[in-house]
Amino acid sequence: MRVIPSICTFCGVGCGIGLRVENGRVIGVEPQLGHPVSQGQLCSKGWSSSFAIDSANRLTDPLIKEHGRFRRASWDEALELVAEAFRTALDEVGPQSVGVISCARASNEDNYAAQKFARAVLGTHNIDHCARICHSPSVAGLARTLGSGAMTNSIADIDEAELILVIGADVTENHAMIGARILRAQARGATLIVVDPRKTRLARLADIHLQLRLGSNIALLNGLLQIILANGWENRAFLAARCEDIQPLRQHLAGLSVEQTSTQTGISVAELEQVAYLFSHAKSAFTAYGMGITQFQSGTNNVIAVSNLALACGQVGRPGTGINPLRGQNNVQGACDMGCLPNVYPGYQDAADAEVRAKFAAAWGRPQPVHPGLTSLGMTKAALAGELRALMIMGEEPVLTDPDQGHVARALTALDFLVVVELTLTETAKFADVVLPAASFAEKHGTFTNCERRVQRVRQAIAPPAMARCDWQILGELAARLGYPGMAWSDAEAVFDEMAGLTPIYSGMTYAALDRQHGLQWPCDVEHPHGSPLLHGQGFPIGRGRLLPVSQVEPDECPDADYPFAFTTHRLHFHYGGGSMTRKSPLLERETPAALLFMHPDDGATLGLRDQQAVAVRSRRGYLETRVHLTDDVPPGTLGMPYHFREAPCNRLTNDAQDPVSKMPELKACAVAVEPLPLGRTPRMQAGVLEVSDDASV
Amino acid sequence: MMQAFSLDRPERLRAHLALDRALYEVRADGQGGTHWQHVSAKDLGAFEHAVEPPPFSAKSFFFAERELLFRFDGGRFYSAMPEVTPQVLFGVHACDLVAVAYQDRFFAADPHYQARRRATLLVGVDCLHSCQGGFCSLLDSGPAVHGDSADLILLPRGDEASDWLLLVASEAGRNALHGLRLPPAECDWQAERVANSHCVAAEQGEQQEVSAGIVALNNDSIADTVWDALGLRCLGCSGCTSVCPTCSCFAPLDRPSGQDGVQRERVWDSCLYEGFQREASGHNPSAGPGQRVQRFWTHKFGDAFKERFERYGCVGCGRCDRVCPGGIGVHGVMHKVSLR
Amino acid sequence: MNDPTPRRLLLLDHYADGEDARHFSLRIDLPLAADLAVIPGQFFMLSVPGVGEAPFTYVSLPDRSGRFTALIRRMGTLTEALFAQPVGAVLGYRGPFGKGWPLFFSAKRVLVVAGGCGLAPLAGVIDEAISHYLPQRLSLIYGARNADAQVLRRERAEWQQRLPMIETLDEAPVGMRQGSPLQHFGELFAATPPDAVLCCGPEPLMLATAEACLKRGLSSDKVWLSLERRMHCADGLCGHCYLGPSYVCQDGPTYRYDRFLQLQSRYSARPGLQDHNFC
Repeated sequence: MRVIPSICTFCGVGCGIGLRVENGRVIGVEPQLGHPVSQGQLCSKGWSSSFAIDSANRLTDPLIKEHGRFRRASWDEALELVAEAFRTALDEVGPQSVGVISCARASNEDNYAAQKFARAVLGTHNIDHCARICHSPSVAGLARTLGSGAMTNSIADIDEAELILVIGADVTENHAMIGARILRAQARGATLIVVDPRKTRLARLADIHLQLRLGSNIALLNGLLQIILANGWENRAFLAARCEDIQPLRQHLAGLSVEQTSTQTGISVAELEQVAYLFSHAKSAFTAYGMGITQFQSGTNNVIAVSNLALACGQVGRPGTGINPLRGQNNVQGACDMGCLPNVYPGYQDAADAEVRAKFAAAWGRPQPVHPGLTSLGMTKAALAGELRALMIMGEEPVLTDPDQGHVARALTALDFLVVVELTLTETAKFADVVLPAASFAEKHGTFTNCERRVQRVRQAIAPPAMARCDWQILGELAARLGYPGMAWSDAEAVFDEMAGLTPIYSGMTYAALDRQHGLQWPCDVEHPHGSPLLHGQGFPIGRGRLLPVSQVEPDECPDADYPFAFTTHRLHFHYGGGSMTRKSPLLERETPAALLFMHPDDGATLGLRDQQAVAVRSRRGYLETRVHLTDDVPPGTLGMPYHFREAPCNRLTNDAQDPVSKMPELKACAVAVEPLPLGRTPRMQAGVLEVSDDASV
Repeated sequence: MMQAFSLDRPERLRAHLALDRALYEVRADGQGGTHWQHVSAKDLGAFEHAVEPPPFSAKSFFFAERELLFRFDGGRFYSAMPEVTPQVLFGVHACDLVAVAYQDRFFAADPHYQARRRATLLVGVDCLHSCQGGFCSLLDSGPAVHGDSADLILLPRGDEASDWLLLVASEAGRNALHGLRLPPAECDWQAERVANSHCVAAEQGEQQEVSAGIVALNNDSIADTVWDALGLRCLGCSGCTSVCPTCSCFAPLDRPSGQDGVQRERVWDSCLYEGFQREASGHNPSAGPGQRVQRFWTHKFGDAFKERFERYGCVGCGRCDRVCPGGIGVHGVMHKVSLR
Repeated sequence: MNDPTPRRLLLLDHYADGEDARHFSLRIDLPLAADLAVIPGQFFMLSVPGVGEAPFTYVSLPDRSGRFTALIRRMGTLTEALFAQPVGAVLGYRGPFGKGWPLFFSAKRVLVVAGGCGLAPLAGVIDEAISHYLPQRLSLIYGARNADAQVLRRERAEWQQRLPMIETLDEAPVGMRQGSPLQHFGELFAATPPDAVLCCGPEPLMLATAEACLKRGLSSDKVWLSLERRMHCADGLCGHCYLGPSYVCQDGPTYRYDRFLQLQSRYSARPGLQDHNFC
C-alpha cells in the first residue's frame, strides 16, 4: 500500500489528492492535508477518482476502423496510418488542411507537445481546445482590459475578502473546494452576493441573490456601475493612478436610469442600489465568474463589463480582491498557457509577431507558419466545407460538449481522416478512423496548472494499461515518422524544461522547485522566483487598465411563439464533462438519472406535467426525449439541462451563434419547446448521432 | 493487569515486528500529507509520534474500499477471499483503535473483514496531547488506548529522555514480543496514564455543544428546519463517510472480469448520497438532504445504536470537521442543533 | 459467517402476469435446509451475473427440489436485464432472508389488504390460510390501478373460490368496485371487523391503511406491513435498508405497525417530501 500525492484530474481548482495504490491499482484516494487549495478536502468527483480511471472499458490497444468496425492494431501500424493521412493532406492541400484539438485535461507536457506538433511538424497554427467553449472570452476580454486573461488573484484571497461577488458560476457544485472556501469566508463575516438566473445552492446560501433574467449580464453590470458613478462611489484614486480615462465609459452609461436596469434585468431597484453600494464600499471585494458570463455571443463583452466594474471600484491588484474567472478543467489554464490556441505560442507570445515566430523557429529548427490558425469551431466549419482534411482530437468530446451536435457530427464525418487519442471509447472516438489509447493522470508524470495559475506536479502512481501511452510520447513518435526528430523526449521533465526555456512566465520553474512549494503560480521568473500569487499589484501588462464601453446584447435566439421557453445548460455536481470518467463510479451514476429537464413547478402546472414525466424537447437544431424535474432552481420561463449525459445530449438543442471576438458559442441561451410524451412511452434515450458500432473488440 | 516493559526506542520494536510481518506506519509524504504507508523492515526512519491522526483512518485495512466478493464464469459462482499476509499497524491512536473495535463487532459475521483483521497485529500509542479537533475524552475513546482494542500499547513519556513503555494487551501481543528482550517497567505507569488523560481532557475542554447536541438529538427536539438548513450545506461529497473510522456502508459493483467472466466487488458507499436509499421505483425514504444529515448524526450519537454497540459510533477523532466542505462536521452540526 | 456469494439459480419458465410484470418459475440448484423452511413474507436476493442483485419476495415457497416462483415487475436496470434472460439461464440466489408474516396469532379474523404488486408477498399467507394450517378466517381485499395492473391472476382465480375476496380498481369498468381498498373499509369493518390486518403495497397505501385501521379501533400492535427498501447485502451491513436503528433486511421486511412508528423518526414521517406513486 502506497499513497502517491498528486492533483485531482477533474475541475480547475486543482486539489491535492493522495492516490492509494495497492497491487498496481488505484483503489481509492485520500485528501491531502496542508494543500494550499484543497486544505484536506475533496468533492464527490475527487473522491470517485479510483473509478474514473479504472481499467474497465479503458482502451488498451490502438484501434483502426475498417468497414465501420474497429479492430485492434499495433502501434506501428496505427501510427504509420496516421502519419500517412497527415502527409497526404499536407502534400495534396497544405498545412491549412490539417489541425489538432488538444486537451484541457491532459498535462502541460502533453499540450506543449501538441502545439509543437502542429506548428513544427504540420506547419499550421490550427491548434485549439475546449477553452474555446469555456473561457476564451475571459482570455480575449481581460487581454483587452488588463493585458492578461487569467485569474488576477489566488484562491487564498477569498480568506481576505470582505465581500465576495459570484456571477454566473455554480461554485459549490463545479469548483466545490472554492465554494467551500467561500462559505467559510461567509461564516467568518464576509458578505456573499450571487448573481445567477438559477437558484443554485450558493445562491440559496448567499446573503443576496440577484436572480437576473437569463442573458441580461451587461445590463446588470452596466446598471450597477452607473449607480456607482452617479453617486460618486467609484474609487477615484485607483482610477487616476491605474486606469485610462473613464470618461468614455461614463458618457456611455450616463443615460442609463436605475429603473431601466431594473426592467431589463428583472431585479428590484432597491437590490440594485444595495449591491452597488456594497461592492463599491467593500474594503476588499473578490469577484468570481464562470460560464454564466462567458458562454454567450456577447461573452467577451460580458467579461469586459465585469472588468469595468472591478476596475472602477479599485477591486483589483490587492489581497482579497480580483477578477477571477473560474477555469473549468483541471488543466485548461495550462492548455492555454502552453499555447494550444491558434493565435498564441506558449506563454501567450503572439503568433502574429514575426520576432516571436523567429524565436520558435530557431528553438525548434523549423520555419514557423505565417497564416493565421483556425479555432475549434472554425475547424468544424472548415471540415464541413471540405477544407479541413485531417484532424487529431486529444481527449475531448466535441460530440457531447460543443453546440449543435448534428453539426459537429456532420463535420467529423466529412473529414478525410480523424484520429482520436483517448482513455475510453467515447462518442467522439467512435467517429475516428484511428483511436490511440492514452495514459490517465495517475499513469504518468507531468504538471497541471489550476485556475489560480498554480503549476502543480502530477505524479505517476501506476502503470498505464496494456499498450496505452502518454500523449506527448504519442506525438513524439508521430513527429519522428513525419521526419521531425525534435520531439523524442526521454521523460516528462525534459518536455517541461524545454517548454520553460521558451516560456517567460514559466521560466523560473523546475520539477524540483514545484515539489518544494506545492507548485508555483506564474509568472515565475527571475523577478518572481517564488511565483506570483497576486497579479497587477503595481501595474497592468498593458500599463493602465482600460474601461471599455459595452452594451447589452440579447441572446441570439430568444423565446418566441414557436419555441416559448428560454433554454440554458449547466453542470451537475456529481458529473464531469461528457461523463466518460464520472459515470464509471457506481455511486455518482446512481446519483442522477441520465439527464433531466429542469423546469419551474409553475410551468409544469401550466403544461400539466408531473415530476419525472417523460417529455420531448425541441429546438431549431434538434430534438431529444428526457424526463422533467420540477424545481424552483430555475425561474419560470427558463428550462435547464445538464450536458453530461450522452443518452440525452442537450447540445443537440443549443445553437452556435458566436461571440465575434472569441468565437465562443452561445451555449447558455437558446429557445425550446416542450411537450409531454404519450402516456406509457418511455423517453428514447439514444447516445450519439450516427449509428457507429461501439464494439471495440476484434 | 497488563504486563509493562521498558522500551528504549519504539524503532527497535518496529524493526522486530517487521521481521515477519508487513509493517504499516503513518508517514509524511513530503507534500504536507500524512498517510498509512507500507514501511520496509530495513527502514531506519524515526517513529514520528504525530499528535494529529492521519486524515485517512486505518479503517481501510479491514473494511477494504474495493473488496472482490465473487466471480462467475457463466456456469458457477466462485467465492473470492482477500490474499492476506500477516501485517502490523504500528502506532494507531486510541480513537482509531476504539473505532476498529467497533467495526470488529459490526462486521463480526463478515468473512472478508475478519480475514484481514485476523491477520493484523495492532500496536497502539497513547496521545500525550490533544489533536486540534479531537474530543476523545468526552466519548471515552482516548487519549489512552483501551486495553481490549490493541495487542501492544506504546506509552510515550512526558520527558523525552525517558524510555518508552510498552504494554502487552493481548496474547497475540505477547507472542509477537518473542525474541525481543525488554526489561520490565519500574514505574507507576497506570498513574502516568491517568494523569495524561486528565491533561488531554483539560486541553479538549468541556465540549458543551457536543454534549448538548447529543441530548437534543436523542430527545428528538431538533426542528426539521434545522436539519434542512444543514442539508443545504451538504454537497454529498462523501468525505465524512470516507474518513469516519466507524462508517461502514457499501455498495456492489458488478463488472466484467477479464476472461469472459463477471465479478462483484463491494465498494465504500455513503448514506449522504441522494441515491443511497432510492429504489428502482423512484421511492426514496430519505429524499431530503436534511433527513440524510439527521440520519448520519443519529447513527453516531443515537441511544438505540449506543445500546447495541455499548458506545457511541463517534470516537471524537475530529476528521469530519476537517474534511467537510460545507462546514457541517461534528462541531458545525452540534453547534447548530444544540442551540435553543 | 455471511456468504455474499450467490448460489446457482435456474430460470425455468415465466409468463406475463400484470403490467410489465412476470411470474417467474425458478429452481435453486442445490437447495439447503433453510430454503425449505421459508416463511411467507421472507425474501431472497436474485443476481443477474454482471448486472446486479436485488431483493424479491417468494410467491410459492421452495419445494424439495428447490422450485419456487416469484412475481417481478420490470422497474430498472436489473429487472430489465432479468427480463432479457432466456429460459435455462443461470442466475444467482441468496436466501432466505428477513422476517416473514406472523402466522400464529390469537386473532380470529385477519384482513389482508394488498395494493398492486404488494399482493405477491402475501400470497404465501393466503395459501397457508386456505390449506387450513391457520385457524383464522382470512379475507382479502386487493386494489390495483386497472385490470391490466393486477398480478397473480392464476392464484386469484383459485382464491376467489376459497376465501372471501374483494377486488377493486382505481379505473374500474362498469360493474366492478371502484377506488382504493381504503374506500371500502367502512363496509369491510362493519361486516366482519378484523382482529388483525396484514398489508402490503406502495408505502403511502400501507401507511394510510394502518392509520385507517387505528381510526377504526384496531390497535397498532395488530397491524403488519411489509416494507420495500433498496437492499444490497441482506445481512444488515451495507446500510441501505435502514429504518432508524433497524435494518429492514433483518428485522423486516414485515413490521408490526407500532414498531414501525417507533423506528420512524419524526422527520422521516413528514409529509410533502417527494414520493412517486408506483406499482
